[in-house]
Amino acid sequence: MSEPVLSIRDMTVDALLDGETRTLIDAVSFDLGRGEILGLVGESGSGKSMICRALVQLLPSKAISITGGSVMLGGRDLTVLDEDAMRAVRGAEIGMVFQNPTSHLDPVMRIGDQVAEGIRYHQGKSRSDAKIMAIDILAQVGFPDPQRQYDNYPHEFSGGMRQRAMIAVALSCNPEILIADEPTTALDVTIQAQILKLLMDLRDARGLSIILITHDLGIVAQTCDRIAVLRHGQLLELGEKRQVLSAPQHAYTVSLLKSHPSMLEESILPSSKPAALLTTAKPLLEIDDLVVRFPMPGLGLFKGGKAHVAAVNGVSLRVMPGETVGIVGESGSGKSTLARAILGLTPLSSGHISFDGLDLAQQRREALAKIRTQAAMVFQDPYNALNPRMSIGAMLAEVLASQNKVPASRIAARVHELLDLVGLDREFATRRPQSMSGGQCQRAGIARALAVDPKLIIADECVAALDVTIQAQIIDLFRDLKSAMNLTLLFIAHDLAIVRNLCDRVVVMYRGQIVEEGRCEDVFARPQHAYTAALIAAIPDIDPDKPLMGGLSAETIPHLLTA
Amino acid sequence: MTTVATRRNVPWSRVLGRNLTLATGAGILWLFLMVAIAAPLIAPYDPIYQDAAVRLAMPSLAHLFGTDNFGRDIFSRVIWGTRIDLQIAVIGVLFPFLIGTFIGTIAGFFGGIVDTIFMRLVDIILAFPFLVLMLSIIAILGTGLSSFYIAMALVGWVSYARLIRAQMLVLKNSDYAVAAVSLGFSRSRIMFRHLLPNAIAGSIVFSMSDAVLVLLNGAAISYLGLGVQPPVAEWGVMVAEGQSFITTAWWITVFPGLSIVVLAFGFSLLGDGLGEWLGVRE
Repeated sequence: MSEPVLSIRDMTVDALLDGETRTLIDAVSFDLGRGEILGLVGESGSGKSMICRALVQLLPSKAISITGGSVMLGGRDLTVLDEDAMRAVRGAEIGMVFQNPTSHLDPVMRIGDQVAEGIRYHQGKSRSDAKIMAIDILAQVGFPDPQRQYDNYPHEFSGGMRQRAMIAVALSCNPEILIADEPTTALDVTIQAQILKLLMDLRDARGLSIILITHDLGIVAQTCDRIAVLRHGQLLELGEKRQVLSAPQHAYTVSLLKSHPSMLEESILPSSKPAALLTTAKPLLEIDDLVVRFPMPGLGLFKGGKAHVAAVNGVSLRVMPGETVGIVGESGSGKSTLARAILGLTPLSSGHISFDGLDLAQQRREALAKIRTQAAMVFQDPYNALNPRMSIGAMLAEVLASQNKVPASRIAARVHELLDLVGLDREFATRRPQSMSGGQCQRAGIARALAVDPKLIIADECVAALDVTIQAQIIDLFRDLKSAMNLTLLFIAHDLAIVRNLCDRVVVMYRGQIVEEGRCEDVFARPQHAYTAALIAAIPDIDPDKPLMGGLSAETIPHLLTA
Repeated sequence: MTTVATRRNVPWSRVLGRNLTLATGAGILWLFLMVAIAAPLIAPYDPIYQDAAVRLAMPSLAHLFGTDNFGRDIFSRVIWGTRIDLQIAVIGVLFPFLIGTFIGTIAGFFGGIVDTIFMRLVDIILAFPFLVLMLSIIAILGTGLSSFYIAMALVGWVSYARLIRAQMLVLKNSDYAVAAVSLGFSRSRIMFRHLLPNAIAGSIVFSMSDAVLVLLNGAAISYLGLGVQPPVAEWGVMVAEGQSFITTAWWITVFPGLSIVVLAFGFSLLGDGLGEWLGVRE
């Protein structure tokens, strides 16, 4: 490796809270070479973002400070620079790209001006020169018509384009180092692949050094040269990508690798198609040509002539008792709307949903009564899904009492059984969501669904907000529950790998319609629809030798052009 | 994940120890409450007894805050006035709070026509200057404290209704609200058991600063002769009575005035402290 651009030695970051000192970053050392992509991997709370914020001294609170070590950039120690000198470093030498482009771009400023602003400030160019350079950068990051798009505002772009705009802003001052903090976590998987490709292209074209922070080992495997694994603020392992992935030294790295959903668990697949294929059974859930339309916002000022957008457009699906069906699709594909329609939470525009023989459109009252007592939902955001003012025990007891399936005298005992079932300690009955971790909250959410004693559980992106090791635990929990209780499970996810591990059958949704449906193995091995193929190819595989997008070029996939 | 201590697990002494604003505010209010309860014991004189011999006496050991033009002891009147003014602040806030919270919850949760009706009503009430509306209602109902309370309840609920409605609009789309619907809970249960407890913190904090305004309004209404009637000791009335003597006997006006300021300050601090404790950002 050539002379490092950035050299971090024994960097320690402490937080002073209520008179106690807590070490957030514990003597971390690493180098970043010129033109290198370094992956910082770890789960939430591992300190990976904190390291990068400390590098540019953008620490989130005054109570947190760098207490030791050095950060050498071009012969200067960044830890001793004052605020004015730091401001010149930020942007000009170290650019940053954040996870959520929507909240990090100024919504009332034109995209082009946000790029030009940095050029004018850091490079002292005139307004017209800056505009020309900004248009050039916009073209580099993949805006198809930068001249015109210079004048557009962030809300006029999709999430992927906004992330490109953020990268353009970061590049505007021609930095040597780019810190990308979970740049693709908020994006759909095909868009993620494009952004990662863009980062690699920029590295090649500009000789940029990139620190890529991510929780997804697949991304690291696909893009990085070296990997640093972090946990609890400590650097556990640092090495060449192939070496770390193939021969991890630390036990934690091994467990991270194991939890990655692209690792197929061969032993589980064959056994998972039981009664589902008995065609004689009556389907538990039958959806026929379902359409759900929403009125378009902003056009409803005068009655009549209201424009509608169809979130679900002509979907038909049958789910047998005991079956596990995965519904995959990117954001906006209508999969969550479908879930809500099934539970009677969203009115149907046309078509039929029948649950256990009762039609939700025609016998709405009876069907709803049945659905409320025999179906339950698990939500994406574990914190938002639980009432923050209620303890877990009170929450479960309330469900049990309202469902009237368990005699009042048995409720306390049943609460404990439910906690046991989802693998939570019984003392959690008295805890509130705010004192629990995301994974624990999600288990409580599952316990609430089980309290209904349902035939059908709909899980809407229920692991998307969790760390990979926690994801794996929750998936295992679902698998256990499914076999133990003969549950019918409708599992909605944007992550195909998770669906592949859990489900018998998979349904691929695209723009409100089902484009492909079939047994999991078949769909993944031989996708029929171009969109399915693109989705599968875009999963960053943990094997670095499997290239991203599997050789599919963007031109072959119509969807990607609109991203 | 680190474990965050839940609010309920922390003993009161520690909450107050860490939150100086809350502690000071609560302390001031507690002091006034004690004075109000113990008024007959602490007050050295009858608040409406007129002693012609000591009219307009300077503050002295016999009369700590001096006497007024009828020879009544200001100190005793301020102490007895605490009862009336605390009552004004509490009742003047309580009914608007309850009514506004109820209406705001219903309007925010159901939306549509219910929401439109109540929110237009709010707009109508807000279109009138607050005091003008109060005065006209009191003029119709006749002077006196109960008229003041009724007028407060009719006018004051709008702020609470708006606050709660805004919260409900956000919360009713939260996942736990959707979960509650999908579990078959009744609407009133979802509204009042699940959503309201999460929506109410901001209103509680606001009610404390509202208490300050109500207190000043009550004093103002009494000052105008429409609220508490003389000779009952009430701070606003006392300020009004003292104004013609302000150049010769400042103590008649200053001490009840100061009491209003300190009590208002206590409510204000309590409001800020509660906001910090409940995690409400204003």
